[in-house]
Amino acid sequence: MKLLKKLPSRVLLFSWLTLAAAGILGAAEKQPQTVQISIGTILAGNQNDEFDAKLKGMEAQLKVLKYRSYRLLKNESQTVPWRGEKAFEIPGGRTLTITPQEFQDNRVSVKVRLTQGQKPLLDTTVKIPNKGNFILGGPPHEGGALVLSISAAAQ
Amino acid sequence: MNECERIEQSMERWLDGELGAAESEVVRSHVDSCANCGAVQQRLVKLERALGNVLAAAAPRIEFAPFWSELERRIDEKTPWHKDLRERIHGWFAVPRTAWAVPALIVLLIAVLSYDSYLPFWRSRNNSATVVSIDAYGRSVALLREDESKTTVIWLYQNQEGDDEAAEETPQPGPAF
Amino acid sequence: MELSDWELVRKCQSGEMSAFQELASRYHQKVFMVILGLLRNRDDAMEVAQETFLRAYRKIGGFQGGSSFYTWLYRIAVNLAIDAQRRQKRNPLDFRENMDDLLESQDEVARDPFAEVHDRELRENMIKAINDLTPEHKAVIVLRTIEGLSYKDIGEILGCSEGTVMSRLHYARKKLHDKLSSFL
Repeated sequence: MKLLKKLPSRVLLFSWLTLAAAGILGAAEKQPQTVQISIGTILAGNQNDEFDAKLKGMEAQLKVLKYRSYRLLKNESQTVPWRGEKAFEIPGGRTLTITPQEFQDNRVSVKVRLTQGQKPLLDTTVKIPNKGNFILGGPPHEGGALVLSISAAAQ
Repeated sequence: MNECERIEQSMERWLDGELGAAESEVVRSHVDSCANCGAVQQRLVKLERALGNVLAAAAPRIEFAPFWSELERRIDEKTPWHKDLRERIHGWFAVPRTAWAVPALIVLLIAVLSYDSYLPFWRSRNNSATVVSIDAYGRSVALLREDESKTTVIWLYQNQEGDDEAAEETPQPGPAF
Repeated sequence: MELSDWELVRKCQSGEMSAFQELASRYHQKVFMVILGLLRNRDDAMEVAQETFLRAYRKIGGFQGGSSFYTWLYRIAVNLAIDAQRRQKRNPLDFRENMDDLLESQDEVARDPFAEVHDRELRENMIKAINDLTPEHKAVIVLRTIEGLSYKDIGEILGCSEGTVMSRLHYARKKLHDKLSSFL
């Protein structure tokens, strides 16, 4: 092809070297050492129409649940090592235990256990996009329901 | 565009001998019959003549013998290694600017494909969590994925027998999704 | 029978220094004139002309004949001249001295003093107007005016398309005319 003929061989060589370097760097991508787990504890209800301004960034996600009001009760972040466990206190005598499992394809796999006292309520393993989140909700609280936003950011 | 504007656009190429025979004839016959275009031609010819006089006349005749003698001396002189290396490196990078578009495009593509680490708005677009396993210990649980906001929801329903000891009131109905 | 440029190049590539000397003798004046047209300083132009032939000698082994020898040689000359031009840090006083040198070097035949003054003013302003062009625009004007090269050859030397050569020539001529219209 005329265009290929015109391209100096050096430039083609540099292009292949750039691609090779990118490939090697990608393969040798440094595995993150820890994960920052953030738990947002939200009270959803239908007693009024208030929407907590602190939850503005999550408005689109919360609207999925179709409650009328949302109030942020607590926001907590902890750094957790891989395969290490961290427990978060949830209102109503509940505990949320998070165990980051692995990091692959830019997604964080986390094991989540929700307990009430000693009684397990839910065990689940979820793959979250790095710096993404998912919602775990349902436990009743103060006439409404608790909504937990669980996010993970590999560091 | 009128005829004179068209001819004026071709005038320089005609004077530089870059037009084909047929096109040259068209321009020549118009210039011969049009006072305006004739004036443009004269202007260009005058400028070219003046340029030629200044540029050519300013260059003295150089004798070849001393020129060659000096050149021979330089050819025989050993170039310092660092100058030679600098020239080689310069030669490697002395390619047409457009040719650098290829590796630049590759770098740009790699940067774009890695964007999701850096752009917050894109993070939300790709925020699709996957539930790998779930055990609700006999309770009802709902899984929901909402495409527009890319939200994944695990909703745990309270057991009918009221096993949530911490419930302070009769629980409200679940979400309406 | 005079050997062609290509035949001389082949002899150079076989190690015959006399072949390179013949090529140098054919082109040294033209190369010098083109470089002087770009640099406007005689000493610098001579230095760059020497460097041009030195580079040509060193690289002649790699010359495949894809272009004519003279366009290949001029490409080396113009690139070196443009590099030198960018490095040149001339103050107005140096420029003035160079210009006077150039003007005095031309043989002045005694004639009408008014015409002489007019011509001198035209040359002074012409040199200044040429100097005000960018290196790329100056290069096309010099190659076209001094050497009468085609757009194709100029494009090969400068590494650009014929269309680019055409538009640069047009721009440079317009600029020069705008500055010199009162003298022409």
